[in-house]
Amino acid sequence: MTAYTERAAGSPVADFLSEHAQVLSIAVFFLACLIFFSVTTDTFLTLGNILNVLRQAAPILVVAVAMTLVIITGGIDLSVGSQVALVNAVAAIILAMGYPWPVVAVGMLAFGALLGMAQGWFVAYQGIPAFIVTLAGLSILRGFALYLTQGYSIPIKDVPGFFAIGRGEFLGMPVPALIAILVAVVGYVIIAYTKYGRQVVAVGSNLEAARRVGMPAKWIVASVYMVSGIACALAGLLIAARLGSGSSNAAVGFELQVIAAVVLGGTSLMGGRGSILGTVLGTLTIAVIGNGLILMHISPFFTQIVTGAIILVAIWLNTKIFTTNFRLGGRKA
Amino acid sequence: MISDRQHPTAVAGAGGGDLPRQSGEGAVRQPRVSLRGIRKTFGSHQALRGVDLDIYPGECLGLVGDNAAGKSTLTKVISGTYIPDDGSISIEGQEVRFSGPADARDRNIEMVFQDLSLCDHVDVVGNLFLGRELTKGPFLDRSRMMTEARAMLDALEIRIPRLSAKVEKLSGGQRQAIAIARAASFNPKVLIMDEPTSALAVAEVEAVLNLINRVKAKGVSVILITHRLQDLFRVCDRIAVMYEGTKVAERDIGKTDLQDLVQLIVGGQKH
Repeated sequence: MTAYTERAAGSPVADFLSEHAQVLSIAVFFLACLIFFSVTTDTFLTLGNILNVLRQAAPILVVAVAMTLVIITGGIDLSVGSQVALVNAVAAIILAMGYPWPVVAVGMLAFGALLGMAQGWFVAYQGIPAFIVTLAGLSILRGFALYLTQGYSIPIKDVPGFFAIGRGEFLGMPVPALIAILVAVVGYVIIAYTKYGRQVVAVGSNLEAARRVGMPAKWIVASVYMVSGIACALAGLLIAARLGSGSSNAAVGFELQVIAAVVLGGTSLMGGRGSILGTVLGTLTIAVIGNGLILMHISPFFTQIVTGAIILVAIWLNTKIFTTNFRLGGRKA
Repeated sequence: MISDRQHPTAVAGAGGGDLPRQSGEGAVRQPRVSLRGIRKTFGSHQALRGVDLDIYPGECLGLVGDNAAGKSTLTKVISGTYIPDDGSISIEGQEVRFSGPADARDRNIEMVFQDLSLCDHVDVVGNLFLGRELTKGPFLDRSRMMTEARAMLDALEIRIPRLSAKVEKLSGGQRQAIAIARAASFNPKVLIMDEPTSALAVAEVEAVLNLINRVKAKGVSVILITHRLQDLFRVCDRIAVMYEGTKVAERDIGKTDLQDLVQLIVGGQKH
C-alpha cells in the first residue's frame, strides 16, 4: 500500500529545539540576566537576596500559573489584581473578627473560586469576551475592596500561624516560595499529563472541534477562571500574611505583571500554546530584573521603563527571531 | 461535571467488529438512521426546509448537491453538532433527541468534518483520541494511546512518522487522513464523511474508497458527501440529491448515471 511514503525521520534534537524554542529562548534570557546582575552587583548573588526575590515573586508565580491556563484557552483575566486585593482585605477583616485562621484561609479559597466562577459563567455560558468581563471585574472587585475597607489598611494582629504562611521558613526556604513552587509543579503536571489539561489545550486550540468530540467545552472555559480565582485567593493570603495587614490598595498593577510573565514565557495570547515552565522562567526574569536594577542603584522610576522595554524586546525576539526567520538545524518548521 | 465516556479500547481494524447487517429484498429493512421533516434556520436563512432521509445498515449513501444546498448542515444534524429546529431523528426505530455532539458519539455516529475539526496544537495521538482520552485516574495514559494510535493508523495504511508531532506541522493530506482515522477507528455504526478526499492525492483517495467499501461490508452505514461524482459510482448504493435545503431526488446507483446526476444537481433543467 502506498498511501503515504515515509521520509527520513528528522533529527530528534532539531524536533526538540523547534518545539521548545520559546521556552529555550526565555531560559537563555533568564540566564543572561542572572549573569549580568551577578557581575555588575556585589549583593545580587547572595543567598539572602535570592531568597528575597523568591519570596517577592511567589504571589505573582501562583497567579501566573493559573493565568497560563486561562490564556491557553484563548482568554485573559484582567481582574486578578482586584481579586487579590479583595481577598486580601476580606481576609484581614474576618481575621480581625477573631475567626480561626485555617477556617478563614479555606473560606477565602472558596470565595476566590466563587469570584472566578462568576466571571467564567459570563465568559463561557453568555459568550461575552473575556477581556470585557474581567475588565468589569477589575473595576467592580477593586471597588468592593475599597468600599469594605473605606480605603484604610486593616491590621492583622496576633495570628502567628497565619503569618508563617507569608514570613516563615521551612528547610531554609521561604514558605511562600515553597507554596509557589508547589503550585507551579501542580500546574505543570495538570497541563502536561492530565485529561483536564488536554481539554484546556484542546478548547484553546479549536473550541468547536473540542465541542464536536463531546468535550464539555463551556464548562472547561468557565473552570479556568475558577482556577484563576482560587490562585488569586492564595496570592491574596500570601500577601496578607507577609505584610500583616489587608488593604484594598494591595496588588495594584498586579494583573499586568502576571500577564507579562506568562507572555514572556512563550504562551500565546491566541490560545492553544502555552508552557508552565516558560511561565516560571518569565516570572523569575521579571522579578530578577526588578531586583537587580534596584541593587544597581538605578532610579526606581527608571526601573519601570527598563522592565517594560525588556519585556517588549524579549517578546519581539520570541515572535520574530525564534519563529519566522530562525530555523533550528535548517529544518522548516 | 466531566462525564467519563472512555472507550474500552481502540479497535485495531478500521470499522471495528461486525455489526448485524440486514439485507434481502423481501424483508422490511429497518433504517439505522431515519430523518423526518428536518428543518434548520440560521437567522433568516433557511438552511434545511423539511428533509426526510433514511440510511440503512451496510450501505453507502451519497449526498450530492450544489454549493449551499444544505448537505453539510444535514450531516451536522445527524452528528448532533446542530440541533434541528423541527423534525425528528430516529435511530434503529427509536426516536432520539440529541442535546449535543456527545450524544451522537455515544450512539456510535462518527463524522469527518469538512474543516477536519483537528486541534492544531495537540499532537497526532492526542487528536486521534480527542474526547475519549485513555486515562489512568486523572492522568493520560500516553503509552497506551501511542500504541493504539499506531495500530489504528497501520490498519488504515496511513503513514505518519512521528506521532508526537503537532498536527499543525503536517500536510493537508495527512491532516485529512488523521480526521478520517479518528472517525473510522472507534466502532462507528454510522460514518459520515463530508468531503473526505478534497485534500488527498490519487492513491489516498483510493485508500478512502477502499475503506468505505470495507466498513460497509462490516455493516456500517456510510454517508459520503463529495463533489467527485465518479467516486460515488465506486462505493455508493444510493444517491440523494439536495437542492436549496430540500431533498429533490433519491436514486439507486444502478438506475442513474453521471448525466442524470448532474441534471438533478443543477436544478433539473433540461439542456
